[in-house]
Amino acid sequence: MWMKNDDDLVGEVLKGDQSSFDLLLRPHRQGLINMAYRMTGNFEEAKEICQESLIKIYKYLYRFEKGRSFKSWIYKITMNSTYDFLRKKKKAGDIIESQKRYTLSVSPNPEKQFLNKEIGSKIESCLRNLSPKEKTVFILRDGDGFSVEETSRILKCSSLSVRTHLSRARKKIRIQFEKANLGFKKEVKSEL
Amino acid sequence: MNCKKVQRWLPLMAGSDLSASKAQAVQAHLAECPECQREYDAFILSLEKMKEWLETERKDWDETEWQQAVQKAAGEKTPALSPLAPWPFKKGWAYAMMGVLVVALTMIFVIRPFHVEEGTALDSEIFARTQAQLIGSAFEESKQEVVRMTMVLPETGQKIIWFFDKNFELEDKE
Repeated sequence: MWMKNDDDLVGEVLKGDQSSFDLLLRPHRQGLINMAYRMTGNFEEAKEICQESLIKIYKYLYRFEKGRSFKSWIYKITMNSTYDFLRKKKKAGDIIESQKRYTLSVSPNPEKQFLNKEIGSKIESCLRNLSPKEKTVFILRDGDGFSVEETSRILKCSSLSVRTHLSRARKKIRIQFEKANLGFKKEVKSEL
Repeated sequence: MNCKKVQRWLPLMAGSDLSASKAQAVQAHLAECPECQREYDAFILSLEKMKEWLETERKDWDETEWQQAVQKAAGEKTPALSPLAPWPFKKGWAYAMMGVLVVALTMIFVIRPFHVEEGTALDSEIFARTQAQLIGSAFEESKQEVVRMTMVLPETGQKIIWFFDKNFELEDKE
């Protein structure tokens, strides 16, 4: 079956076919919501951000340059919406921690669930220790699998800057892992 | 390659973000240095666990909510191409167009008067040349038919006047 590419679908949306908009964004819906979720730590806020970015994507779709990566373009919009949201939130003085950040997936085994929760909260604190730029670069590169070049295009910065922030983020995470004693030391030693 | 340099590159090496030549050099060092190898393994493990956690914590939209979000976005405003916006719209294009406009206006209001002056100069030159030609032809045309020569004697004050024709032949007029 012939699959329509992003450029074709963009053309159809611009011609007024609204159903193509869903087809265009469906493959990225999980990636977008997760990026916003990891940046805010709150799923409801992440949905709000994504709604905002969907509106922007539709409104400015005519500005999308054919032949470019549609994925990078929508991630850039969502990333900017996330920054706007966080800035507004900070301005409004909303310093209350999100009620439940990074709610862990439910496991049928209570013991495993407890362990998951403990590890999860420790890992979550690793992410919290990163600066916004480090967190963004880490999420895009290691969470969403973008290349360094794609990440630099999304964030409008040089590849060198991405590599620097990525290096710092991984270093901080590695130190946090060691401090939190997440068991990797033993594994490393046993491997050696 | 020393340990300090290698350890600076380890975070990138752990995520395969190092260039091939650098990665090769680091790999060679790791084969000889157990301390750096231990450090590298720690990076690999922390990164793997982080990725694993990020994967297990992946969230997704509820289908109904997604449909509503898409419909809301698509219902906001038709993404009709504005007749004023060039395709594909770029900020750089707008600046370039403004630049061209400024240059054009400058040419019209600043450079044009010089052209006019140049034109004027040219016109005056042509005018002068034409005048000269006219005068020349006038001179040619107004070649005197008769030349008068007067001689005054200082002692008596007597005047003798000769009239010559254009062939300088004496005419008897007086």
